[in-house]
Amino acid sequence: MSPSTFQPFSGARLLLSVACLLGLAVAQPAMSEEPRRPECIAPASPGGGFDLTCKLAQSALVQQGLLSSPMRVTYMPGGIGAVAYNAVAAQRSGEEGTIVAWSSGSLLNLAQGKFGRFDEQAVKWLAGVGTTYGALVVRADSPFQDLDDLVDALKSNPGEVVIGAGGTVGSQDWMQTALMARAAGIDPRAMRYVAMEGGGELITALLGSHIQVASSDIADTMPHVESGDVRVLAVFAEERLPGELASQVPTAIEQGYDINWPVVRGFYVGPDVSEEAYDWWVEAFDTLLETEEFAQLRADRDMFPFAMTGDELRQYVDEQVALYRQMATEFGLIQ
Amino acid sequence: MIYQRVFLAVLLLVCAILAVIAFGYHAPFSYEPVGPRAYPLLLLTLIMAGTLYLLFRPGTITLGEGDEHLDRHVLAKITLCVVLFTIFAACYEMLGFIVSSFGFAVLMGRLYGGTWIASLIGGVLMSIGFYWLFDRILDVPLPLGILSSLEF
Amino acid sequence: METLSYLGQGFGVATTPFNLFTALCGTLIGTIVGLLPGLGPINGVALLIPIAFALGLPPETALILLAAVYLGCEYGGRISSILLNIPGEASAVMTTLDGYPLARQGKGGIALSISAWSSFIGGLMATIGVVIFAPLLASWAVAFGPAEYFALMVFAIVCLAGMAGNKPLKTAVAAMIGLFLSSVGIDSNSGVYRFTFGSLGLSDGIQFVVLVLGLFSVSEILVLLERTHRGQKAIQASGRMLFNLKEGASVFLTNLRGGAIGFFLGILPGAGATLASAVAYMSEKRINDQEGTFGKGDLRGLAAPETANSASACGSMVPMLTLGVPGSGTTAVMLGALTLYNITPGPLLFQNQPDIVWGLIASLFIANLMLIVMNVPMIRIFTKILAVPYWALVPAIAIITSIGVYAVHATTFDLFLMIAIGVIGYILRKFDFPLSAILLGFILGGLMEQNLRRALSISNGDLGILFSSPICWGVWALTALMIVLPMLRGWRRRLRTVRAGG
Repeated sequence: MSPSTFQPFSGARLLLSVACLLGLAVAQPAMSEEPRRPECIAPASPGGGFDLTCKLAQSALVQQGLLSSPMRVTYMPGGIGAVAYNAVAAQRSGEEGTIVAWSSGSLLNLAQGKFGRFDEQAVKWLAGVGTTYGALVVRADSPFQDLDDLVDALKSNPGEVVIGAGGTVGSQDWMQTALMARAAGIDPRAMRYVAMEGGGELITALLGSHIQVASSDIADTMPHVESGDVRVLAVFAEERLPGELASQVPTAIEQGYDINWPVVRGFYVGPDVSEEAYDWWVEAFDTLLETEEFAQLRADRDMFPFAMTGDELRQYVDEQVALYRQMATEFGLIQ
Repeated sequence: MIYQRVFLAVLLLVCAILAVIAFGYHAPFSYEPVGPRAYPLLLLTLIMAGTLYLLFRPGTITLGEGDEHLDRHVLAKITLCVVLFTIFAACYEMLGFIVSSFGFAVLMGRLYGGTWIASLIGGVLMSIGFYWLFDRILDVPLPLGILSSLEF
Repeated sequence: METLSYLGQGFGVATTPFNLFTALCGTLIGTIVGLLPGLGPINGVALLIPIAFALGLPPETALILLAAVYLGCEYGGRISSILLNIPGEASAVMTTLDGYPLARQGKGGIALSISAWSSFIGGLMATIGVVIFAPLLASWAVAFGPAEYFALMVFAIVCLAGMAGNKPLKTAVAAMIGLFLSSVGIDSNSGVYRFTFGSLGLSDGIQFVVLVLGLFSVSEILVLLERTHRGQKAIQASGRMLFNLKEGASVFLTNLRGGAIGFFLGILPGAGATLASAVAYMSEKRINDQEGTFGKGDLRGLAAPETANSASACGSMVPMLTLGVPGSGTTAVMLGALTLYNITPGPLLFQNQPDIVWGLIASLFIANLMLIVMNVPMIRIFTKILAVPYWALVPAIAIITSIGVYAVHATTFDLFLMIAIGVIGYILRKFDFPLSAILLGFILGGLMEQNLRRALSISNGDLGILFSSPICWGVWALTALMIVLPMLRGWRRRLRTVRAGG
């Protein structure tokens, strides 16, 4: 714990803080020195998912005493992470205190070549700290009871069902919808797909019956499931999710459609960050990911467990990007 | 009047080029009949029509607020101001906020009729004061640039 | 009746001395943050959330602080719009139209006090509106689908034509440039990148802050250079700082209309506040501008957007509280703040935690009151900005502007873009193209195109969807009225002159 600057100092508190600081100083040699000016870049405007990811790291790292000075959050919106990726891969490549939030959506865009001249090898992947899963959602009074109902309707006339999503063609929401269509044996071009801007617009359109099915993710949806306004037809996870309400949601796989669509969130650092600093961050996140408190913070933000750091994560990212690239090619998004 | 026509002609040309570019936009997947190129093409056409009308009906051209003719001195000063701005932008990250805004504030102060001393004092106060206000208090991160080895 | 008792409770909480003090501090901080061009409520709110949390403020006090900062920032933005002709954010654009001319006439103090008063009325009306209509509001917000939004945008653009004045063609060209600029960046329907020329800085389009600060701030700096060269000084506010009873009465009906427009449009998630202030200004001009004084410093032209804007600021809380959907960037940040306190905004909030909801509504009201209590005595200080000599004022504006722009992407690309836009803006200004039309076109254009295309993808290309709901019919009818009304008035005037001649 660092001394709080917001409370009046009493003598005892001052002593306590000094003791804490000394304690930290003594504990330090076990790890290499912590990076100066810690900063988390959220590659989006304030208030979105990336902001959430950064705030998660911000509160957890300081709470656990892994960082002594507070971490700041910088916003760098643009192209689902493209602007931040380029800035950190080139101009700010050596900043040891700077970590950047990423999500599976960033990887998907990276795979489609939308990140400019850089590929997935251009940065050092640090950690994946949590995940949500794609989901298909309908209004509570919808005639569709399960995935089969939806697929039957799509098969008999794909133009009858209006599917909305929070992203454009080629985004995660579109991909999972297209995978669904393909699993049902329908040409993704024949769908009636409406691209909304963000989860808020999407849920509003669903509640107002402007669209019939929303292709979204489970975290955005749970509050509305709780209120009884919407139902989830299927979540694109490998097995049922933990949590009282979430565990009642059937997966697509158990309904016979082999679609798994996790949306992982995590951090990377610049390519020229020294090995020592990189190891410091990896170790910090390894420690963090094991604590109960972090699990609680993550659950509070409607995210599900996912923990991968260092080399394991690098390999995961490589595999995912390759997979996404293959999918994008199959769908004709890239030549 | 002649300047205005030159400007309109340039605007027309730019719109035409943009229209040619817009014509090539094509979506691999499109779920509605309008597509990505109809809207920009429509607007570029309308702007070009409006510009053409203004070009050939000079009676419709009005002059702006307090629009005395710009003499060469003002024009030179305005160019200088824009150049200063551009140099400032270029140095923003490289030299860092404090150094670049100090230089910028001093020169701008001179340009806007301040004495050397006043501008220098203004430059020091503004560069350090704004850094402190924004970076430290308002939590808007600013680049430190060459000063990053000094921890504030 | 239950709502009233909850509201009473909310006021009970909000009016404890500690909370009143918090509201006072919040409005003060907010006003200062909002005064800085490029920084707005998003920054103010985002800045104070962690502090409120670290200070261990109880949830209701934190909410009051946030509401106070939010409204304070909105008001602070007015100060730079009126005194310096630099609107800090979208909803302040209309304020410059009559606010800046007033300041140029030396009536900066009166303009600022009318603005504070109008904001107060707007906030008051919206608070009452929320109390009366609360249960209905969620369904109103949800009823607006792509087709309805498209109709609304067309309506707003038709209103925009009212701005034309004596230079219709230039206004039209300027508006179309704005409409066109909104298409830069990724097309959210098809995913195609338009007019980005391979630059990632443009991949999400031109950011509003960059456009507004380029067009207004940079071009104003260049105009001030001309004035310096000619030896002109700023015109300081002189004499009266407060509006008098007659002036207050002259804008009262405008206040009422603006408040109603602001409230109902503010509820719509998306462009609420901007749309509200624009529509309020234009319709007021249509109704009242017989002498052609709008745009030259008419108090009604200042009061209309101000009332609407403040009413919509309260209105935008409604979708956040009832649907859990942020109505604006600021409310998105506030949603984050609420989750810090384990308050999950959403459909259940009104049922599960009515004390929080009504506490927030009461705090909005208290914050409005504080704003007027605190800012009116300070108007004299604010107008002192005009007494600062150019050699200090201009570099300060330039540097703060650059910080505001840099904060958008944290890259220098936007700085260069802003300078380029500023130079073009200066040229357009010299040739008498109205810059505010560009900005409004820019805001409305993207929404219009995307919603039209969304509506058509819902209907599979059938245009009938644009006329398929009662809301659509209503909006189209209003649009028709907006077109017919001025024609009718012109016809009547001609009739009268013919009669007088005969």
